Amino acid sequence: MDDLNVNNEPALKQFVPTPSRPPRKSERGIIGAIRHRCFNSIGNSLLTLCVAVVLFYLLKYILDWAVFNAVFIADNRRQCMDISPDGACWAGVISWFNGLIYGRFPLEEQWRVNSGVLLGLAWLLPLMSKRVALRNFILLSWIGLYPFVGAYLFLGGRFGAELGLVHGTMTCFALAFLTIIYTNWILSGLGKKGLNELFVPLVSRWVQRRIHLLSFLTILLLVALFIAFGLSYVALEPVAIERWGGLFLTFIIAGFAITMAIPVGVVLALGRRSKLPVIHWISMIIIELVRSVPLITVLFMAVTLLPIFLPADMEFNKLTQVLVAVCLFAGAYMAENIRGGLQAIPKGQYEAAATLGLGYLHTMVLVILPQALKMMIPNIMTSFISLLKDTTLVSIIGLFDIMLMARNIANDKDWVGLHTEPLVMISVLFFVLCYSMSQYSLNLEKRLKVDH
Amino acid sequence: MTQPSVSKPSKNTPKQTNLFLSLIEKNRLLLNDDSYRAVVLQAVVLAAVLFGLWFLFSNASENLNRLGMTFGFDFLQVTAGFNISWSLIPYDSSMSYWRVFFVGIVNTLILSFCVIVVGTIIGTAVGILRLSANPLVSQLARWYVEIVRNVPLLIQIIFWFTVVFSTLPAPRQSYHLGEWLVLNNRGLYVISLESAFSWGWIFALIGALGAAIYGLFRWSKPYYKVSGSRSAGFYIGLVFWAVAACWAVWFISHSLSLSIPTLQGFNFSGGAFLPASFGAAFVAMTVYRSAAIAETVRAGMQSIDRGQSEAAFTIGFSRVQSLRLILIPQAIRSIIPPMTNSWLAATKDSSLAVAIGFPELVSVFMQTSMNQTGRAIEIIFMVMGFYIFISLLISYLLNKFNDSVQYKVR
Repeated sequence: MDDLNVNNEPALKQFVPTPSRPPRKSERGIIGAIRHRCFNSIGNSLLTLCVAVVLFYLLKYILDWAVFNAVFIADNRRQCMDISPDGACWAGVISWFNGLIYGRFPLEEQWRVNSGVLLGLAWLLPLMSKRVALRNFILLSWIGLYPFVGAYLFLGGRFGAELGLVHGTMTCFALAFLTIIYTNWILSGLGKKGLNELFVPLVSRWVQRRIHLLSFLTILLLVALFIAFGLSYVALEPVAIERWGGLFLTFIIAGFAITMAIPVGVVLALGRRSKLPVIHWISMIIIELVRSVPLITVLFMAVTLLPIFLPADMEFNKLTQVLVAVCLFAGAYMAENIRGGLQAIPKGQYEAAATLGLGYLHTMVLVILPQALKMMIPNIMTSFISLLKDTTLVSIIGLFDIMLMARNIANDKDWVGLHTEPLVMISVLFFVLCYSMSQYSLNLEKRLKVDH
Repeated sequence: MTQPSVSKPSKNTPKQTNLFLSLIEKNRLLLNDDSYRAVVLQAVVLAAVLFGLWFLFSNASENLNRLGMTFGFDFLQVTAGFNISWSLIPYDSSMSYWRVFFVGIVNTLILSFCVIVVGTIIGTAVGILRLSANPLVSQLARWYVEIVRNVPLLIQIIFWFTVVFSTLPAPRQSYHLGEWLVLNNRGLYVISLESAFSWGWIFALIGALGAAIYGLFRWSKPYYKVSGSRSAGFYIGLVFWAVAACWAVWFISHSLSLSIPTLQGFNFSGGAFLPASFGAAFVAMTVYRSAAIAETVRAGMQSIDRGQSEAAFTIGFSRVQSLRLILIPQAIRSIIPPMTNSWLAATKDSSLAVAIGFPELVSVFMQTSMNQTGRAIEIIFMVMGFYIFISLLISYLLNKFNDSVQYKVR
């Protein structure tokens, strides 16, 4: 027994591990690493050389075409050909750049698109600051209210005339909301109380319950009235939806699909996981049917069948039909992601929620869904990326998204047959967008890694 | 005992006096009852769905009446009257819409089949190259995957079509490989065998012969199991089938002739023809699919414990041997399910070839035929039904295969 008692052995007690040996001399340094990993055998050396030669010629060809022999300033394609016959003709892309971004949106009204996009981003800006209260509320308000402001800016029209009553009211509320968010943000930055707190004493004179909510609603109503008064003097030039196009339209479709995919997906996923057979079967049939057909058939269905299946006096434009189709399609794919997340939540979470006496709705909204969505963020991001790529399909049914605009350059009389450069340009654009999104999602995945 | 008798009338009196309130009270209790609530909720959802369907169909019938159209599949027998640029099965404009539907299906299937086979081979190779220790090779594979994956497929298809395949020389200056192979901006012409019999009969004959031989083996199996050798009847049958096969080959070969692509006027005739749109769609989809499959393969290979490959090296396996005998058989278990999805996606993606005018199902049936007949409802449901059938079939078959490769746990 004694000789097994390790603790009493003095030699083992002071165990000092041998320092790890340095790498061999031949493997040290950059040259060593290259030699060790690229030229460690005859076959590998040959492979390395082949790949290097191929890469060299590929890069040389691409750079020659796209940069060194390229023409950046020319009036038409003939000039391009005269200056440099075997280089890219970026002049055509540059002269069409505005069209690629805004489609056929009137030139003098394009500030509205820019300000609409900026407004959308500005709405989300307070989310970056950790000091702002009710951040989920801001996100929800963005999903619920921003589309009205966006549509107002992009469509134009006067209050009470082209703009419908509901749309106008919601626009006012949205702008009021944004104002309040920003005022509160600035006030909190200055260390003052929020706008809400200022109104609380006023409201509490009249009511006893739900003081905070009512004071908030009071402010909202006041600011909205004020904004409505202001906006009634502003007349924006109406722009027909048919003139929307380019990257702007691509972003509208993708953005709508991405924001709508989550709620639709949550409903369908919960329905599919439901124990009630009718709801389970209906959700399952919807999900499976939509997932097993290509997006292009869903788009065709929306464009040709919606007018037949809806009352004759209900007319939608093509964009609305496409948005309905894309929303359904994205929702069905998102539902499967979310279902994966729901299945990964341990049973104990449900039981704990039941122990606390939470009902179905509270269990889902407060306990299960936040965890499931967080867990599925990488998959959801992957879905978003493929959604962004899939929006190019709307060009097949004739919406002038960036893809169709790029193809249209070849029909322009100055730039007849200019196919390659616009396609390369939008490919690069999509690559940059999608690649950065995927890198961001990898980053998120590392940060949010949850171990159960 | 006196207490309940005293309290009872006092409890009962308000209930009796206000029947209406008690009814509400009772229903509120019921609403808090789970099983009751479940029934109500389901009834409401079902009613809403049925109402929605009724709403849609009543609108549809009203609209169809208004436009003077009828619903029905009788249009399928009508002569189509338009040409299809390329079809694998014989077609001409005097054939019916049924035939058009069938041509679309065959073209879709042949395109997606080619993409699946070649894409899987290239994807597996790229996925394994991505794991190479050689940084140059693995980075090249990585950027291939990243670039291909992050550019929309539609852009790639159009890129290959307008930039590569349409800029090939015109028929008169086309690339030649002797008389065997001609490549120009219309497509690829290959020397081919022509037969007086239709290919359907020849394939049917080959299939029948194969089935007969298989049947022979099955028939002689019990005897083989017992005795270890085949029975005399088996050999007689084999000789009989061999003679039959020889006769069939002799018979058919009389009708065979070589068809050589030759320039006639502005175009080639003769030989087998693959249009440029097929080439572009095939190359673009194969490249796109191979990137997705490469990611699947890489993930599958990385899911195997590192010790497995180290152990393989330790017992002296070469890289190829360890891949073939140790790593791939284990990786295949985690690769099959996402691979199934990839193959399904390839079938669905083939509908994008409509953008460059390859005559697949969506193009010939959902676009051309729908414009000609105006039968939107029937046509869209037929096309969707086909895709749903295909995805159910592929996922069913691959689930079967998946079950057979998974670990058997008792």
